[in-house]
Amino acid sequence: MSALAHPFRPAGANKIDPVLVMLWILLIAVAALWIAPFIFIVFTSLKSNAMVMGTGAFAPPSEADWGNYSRAWARGKFSTTVLNSAIITIIKVPLGLAISAMAAYALSRIQMVGRRIAFLAIVFGTMIPFQVMLAPLFTLVNSLGLINTYVGIILPYLAFGVPYQVFILHGFFRDVPKELSEAALIDGASHFTTFRRIFLPISLPVLAALLILDFVATWNEFAMALVILQDNSKWTLPLGLMSFQSQFSNDYGQLNSAIVMTVLPATIVYLIFQRYFISGLTSGAVKE
Amino acid sequence: MHSVEISNVKKFYGSTEVLHGLSLDIDDGEFVILVGPSGCGKSTLLRMIAGLETISSGTIKIADRVVNDLQPKERDIAMVFQNYALYPQMTVADNIGFSLQMAKIPREERVRLIADAAAILGLEPLLGRYPRQLSGGQRQRVAMGRAIVRKPKVFLFDEPLSNLDAKLRVQMRAEIKSLQKRLNTTTVYVTHDQIEAMTMADKIVVMHAGSVEQIGAPLELYDRPVNTFVASFIGSPSMNLVNGTLLDAGRPGLKLDDGVILPLAETPKGLSGRNVIFGIRPEHIVVDPEAGVPAEIKTVEPTGSETHASAFIGKQEFSCVFRSRIAIAPGDKLPLSFAQGPGHFFDPATTMRI
Ligand SMILES: Nc1ncnc2c1ncn2[C@@H]1O[C@H](COP(=O)(O)OP(=O)(O)O)[C@@H](O)[C@H]1O
Ligand SMILES: [Mg+2]
Repeated sequence: MSALAHPFRPAGANKIDPVLVMLWILLIAVAALWIAPFIFIVFTSLKSNAMVMGTGAFAPPSEADWGNYSRAWARGKFSTTVLNSAIITIIKVPLGLAISAMAAYALSRIQMVGRRIAFLAIVFGTMIPFQVMLAPLFTLVNSLGLINTYVGIILPYLAFGVPYQVFILHGFFRDVPKELSEAALIDGASHFTTFRRIFLPISLPVLAALLILDFVATWNEFAMALVILQDNSKWTLPLGLMSFQSQFSNDYGQLNSAIVMTVLPATIVYLIFQRYFISGLTSGAVKE
Repeated sequence: MHSVEISNVKKFYGSTEVLHGLSLDIDDGEFVILVGPSGCGKSTLLRMIAGLETISSGTIKIADRVVNDLQPKERDIAMVFQNYALYPQMTVADNIGFSLQMAKIPREERVRLIADAAAILGLEPLLGRYPRQLSGGQRQRVAMGRAIVRKPKVFLFDEPLSNLDAKLRVQMRAEIKSLQKRLNTTTVYVTHDQIEAMTMADKIVVMHAGSVEQIGAPLELYDRPVNTFVASFIGSPSMNLVNGTLLDAGRPGLKLDDGVILPLAETPKGLSGRNVIFGIRPEHIVVDPEAGVPAEIKTVEPTGSETHASAFIGKQEFSCVFRSRIAIAPGDKLPLSFAQGPGHFFDPATTMRI
């Protein structure tokens, strides 16, 4: 509050701090850079084709042409692709997070042989970019007869998503005081109860952050879906966008309507969950 | 009947032996305090009783049942940790009731037991709060509530007061002690603070480097320490320990290494001429204008009720506690007598009491 009352002045100082001014300018520049394409997309999505050609990219549409949205919905087969994306994401994200959290708990709290090796294998898993694995992945999924199935895409998504989440959650769980698990053990809780009643609640901010990241990544994933989901009845939203570019005449209005509809759910999820993880990160009262 | 029996218990971490065959019997309802310098193995022993550490060899019995291979929850114990280990996302009531919930005790019963425990500790107004909304002392109380609610056979405390400020610590000392007497539950309590041990315990176990040095009632340890370690560990300020040679019994006294002679009330029989470590508590050194040995005051610390001072006799420094306010200042000369209180004699080779 006081920082806003005296802009660019550190608390208690009466001179303007030039570093703070620089930081603000930088921040605004970066924000503008990020928001520019977004504005372009939203504006364009509301313009007719003639208007797209006739006006500047960042000029607001003189009258909103909502028809772009309904035409894009039909042309991009959104009724199919939204459903596919929703099914895949709604299964994969919570399932992956649950597996990761349980694995991270086990790796940080349960004494067992091969724990270090297992952890190293998972760390190694975070270092492999999935792009280099696309060809072997196709062969594998194909040999399992899972091409064009939800399972066929969800399994690789899990395989490439889980290690990273385990790594993050393991780091978090490792720092939970060991007395907390010991107290639970003395109180008669099983490992699963300790995990569910104590570790999950205190890691909600981290889980919310991972959920947002994973939701957005899964929702927008393109390359793996392209390889595995070849039948257009199984296409996800990003694949559906291709139908707007493969035409002879590009319809920018419709393309951008389609983009808005594609990213909107991810944005909504972000807005819902961001408050959990931001409040969690800033309160500092997560672990005591 | 013994409530806890520890027989020849050892603990290894890898190849390092941190407990060297400890034995200890604890009676029903007894308040036993394990005390010793940091790193001597107190927590390790307590955690072995709790079932949080494996027992490398030897046996631990609780209520006549060997518990070596039992899970913590099967041992009928409750533990209070130094950092309290309250579950951060549960209210005070849920924290206290967690073990009852785990034991599948029906809800109404649980509510009643939580209310009972809360009443004993004065926690009723806090039942709906979360741990982060509590002060240090209140958290400490909740941790105790969590322990007493299940009415275990044994309470285990690991330095429960060391995160509190000095005043609260003194208050909680008395409170824990009276609570323990009231519930009459066998208690094993770990601390590195000998004053805590002296003021609270029925029985003190002095530990040092993974071994028991002495077991006894507080005043017993104070009056008859078995070796120089216990002598200097128990009591504050510490007992003075000096090297010297015993004079013959006809003229009891001690000749210090630099030749000064301290007259004493009595010395062990038949040991004249022997080299000993002589110990005397600071409050047993008194000012005596007739028979005192001249000493020079180096520092003075008035505490209000007593006066703490350090004084040199020859090259030897002694700490003294005078039971009244006396007007002394650094550099003053004062005649000090060692002959009016009990002296302690230890063998320099073994450090054991003679
Ligand atoms: N997990 C462990 N691995 C190896 N050494 C340990 C471990 N825990 C404790 N120790 C060692 O055991 C000794 C006793 O520790 P502890 O029981 O915690 O001492 P205290 O509670 O008396 O301060 C110490 O020397 C400590 O370094
Ligand atoms: Mg300890």
